[in-house]
Amino acid sequence: MSTPLLEVRDLCVSFATRDGVVRAVDGLSFSVDAGEALGIVGESGSGKTVSSLSILRLFGLFDDVTLSGEILFEGRDLLRISEAELSRIRGGKIGMVFQDPLTSLNPVMPVGEQVAESIRFHTGATRPQARKRAIELLDRVGIPDAAKRCDELPHSFSGGMRQRVMVAIAIACEPKLLIADEPSTALDVTVQAQILLLLDELRRELGIALIMITHDFGVVAATVDRVLVMYAAQPMEYCTIEHLFDRANHPYTEGLLRLVPRLDHRMGGRLRPIEGQPPALTEEISGCPFAPRCGLAEERCHNDRPPLVRLGPHHESACWLATERAARLTTPGRPWETPS
Amino acid sequence: MTAVEKTSPLPVRPRRGRTGGGLGPLLLRRLRDGVITLVLVVAIIFILAHVVGDPALVYAPIDATDEEIERIARNFGLDRPFHERFGSYFADVFTGDFGESMWQQRPALQAVGEALPDTVQLTLVGIVGAAVFGIIGGILAGSRPGSLFDRGSNFLSVTALSVPNFWLGLLLIVVFAVQFGIFPTSGRIGPSSIVLPALTIAIVHGGRIFQLVRSATVEEMSKPYVRVARSKGFPHRRVLWGHVLRNTGLTTATIAGWEYVRLWGGAVFAIEYVFAWPGIGTLTINAAHRQDFFVLQAAVIIAGAFVIVANLIVDLLYRVIDNRIKAS
Ligand SMILES: Nc1ncnc2c1ncn2[C@@H]1O[C@H](COP(=O)(O)OP(=O)(O)OP(=O)(O)O)[C@@H](O)[C@H]1O
Ligand SMILES: [Mg+2]
Repeated sequence: MSTPLLEVRDLCVSFATRDGVVRAVDGLSFSVDAGEALGIVGESGSGKTVSSLSILRLFGLFDDVTLSGEILFEGRDLLRISEAELSRIRGGKIGMVFQDPLTSLNPVMPVGEQVAESIRFHTGATRPQARKRAIELLDRVGIPDAAKRCDELPHSFSGGMRQRVMVAIAIACEPKLLIADEPSTALDVTVQAQILLLLDELRRELGIALIMITHDFGVVAATVDRVLVMYAAQPMEYCTIEHLFDRANHPYTEGLLRLVPRLDHRMGGRLRPIEGQPPALTEEISGCPFAPRCGLAEERCHNDRPPLVRLGPHHESACWLATERAARLTTPGRPWETPS
Repeated sequence: MTAVEKTSPLPVRPRRGRTGGGLGPLLLRRLRDGVITLVLVVAIIFILAHVVGDPALVYAPIDATDEEIERIARNFGLDRPFHERFGSYFADVFTGDFGESMWQQRPALQAVGEALPDTVQLTLVGIVGAAVFGIIGGILAGSRPGSLFDRGSNFLSVTALSVPNFWLGLLLIVVFAVQFGIFPTSGRIGPSSIVLPALTIAIVHGGRIFQLVRSATVEEMSKPYVRVARSKGFPHRRVLWGHVLRNTGLTTATIAGWEYVRLWGGAVFAIEYVFAWPGIGTLTINAAHRQDFFVLQAAVIIAGAFVIVANLIVDLLYRVIDNRIKAS
């Protein structure tokens, strides 16, 4: 097999804050092949955004951040290259779409210019060339009347339209990888679906690899090939989308899947939230972070951190019970429907 | 391609600030407010002079008898009822009759009119210096909070802010005029006379402009669109000039404008006096010493009117430019 486009190895990210050190990402590894789509799923605060910001080192002004591990992109470790080298990759080879379209655009710059400036910076195109290309891109992402609207300021665009502009910015220089951090969460439902569809289309059309960050399994099911489930800064399960729905191994994944409302069940009976709260990330977690909320937890789960167990070529689970649970679940079927 | 959602007919976010009804009504509203403020200033001066104090006493020689004082009062029409006195006083002030200076033996307005250009010149030179220090420093510091430059310049600006302005003026006189003899100690004897008083203004007000510009820059740098600009690969300087300053430029200019207005309301009086600069500040303080009520009153009212007008101009310019940006 060829080397993956992006390979993250044992990524750890911590912030020094007034309340102590926050371990926001703890031992994360994953890879994305060219043209492939990976989903990163987990509840709020599990470290999804921090993981994605680490890739391009886009932390805030006040963040006192410590990074370790490796982020290999086309053979280079992004954590160790200079800011100048990284700036060729940001927006050039890796594009990014952020969560909140209302605040992601510069309020005093025409939207077309916000797309075109990136093209000029990375390709050295002239102003008219870049503008022409920006209009094509805006048209491609579904801005009606793009040639006219490209001179308007963001405030005259709706949330969904602004997110389309963001997508145009992210793909402006034909990146190899697109990172979308909850690109549809801030939008209303119909618009959400359109944005997701747009990303999916563009990915297939342009052969871009995609990292889709979300807490919604519906989004995952519709758009990705593989899934990484995160909990409390740590990876829980890493598998293909088929395995996720047919053979979820980790009790946390199983718990999340039970939360997905399904049309073939009446609401209520089957929707069981996971009891308890995720641990605070400022505390040292010795065992499995999910153990306090896990119905199956044993002594060792509380004391020792479980290894990432390899269950197959495309399936890993960070659970002490992974092997025996895998044996039990090899019969195809939906785990939450198997009577216990 | 899927169906495309329509842009909502209403703007998603309300426009910044009250743009309500365009500039004409705004101008009228602000002019009305300005006139009301000015009338209040005049009324307060009248009350202080005629109700709390007694103008006849001010005029009378120290050894005047009661009869003499009463005669003076009659001469000035002070025996008339209150509302009549107030009315005629008002009419005088608004027709430009501020009375005679007893000390200088000429109309009070003339004395003030002579001092005004000197003060305008000093304050303008001073505020330009303050803006240069404050804006450049504030932007550089605010764009890299916590850096060595930020911490150093922040310390300097806080020091500049907390030193009393007259003390700073004296310090500059001692160092640059007395010790090194580079600039004159006081008065206005040549072009170099303006350097030290203007520098005092630049340091004190530059410190404040620095603080305000720095925090505006820090706030702007923390906005999500800045991260997006960085995600395009732009280096720090390009993010700052191409994106952040486009948004803070107007606020920054307004900060400097307001600071200019503040200067008129305070520091310029003490600083002029320390340097014996022949402007309104020195005139006002001297008039107070000599109990020259008419000059004092004229200076306060003219300076008040100047502040009100300057404030109005700053505000209107902000609106005009802001609307321009929004509508472009
Ligand atoms: N700049 C920062 N300084 C300190 N702590 C941070 C910082 N950014 C994130 N964190 C902490 O790191 C943890 C992970 O945050 P992150 O934003 O990655 O979560 P997330 O999975 O993206 O959640 P959400 O679904 O709400 O976006 C959180 O506990 C958060 O409080
Ligand atoms: Mg997030």
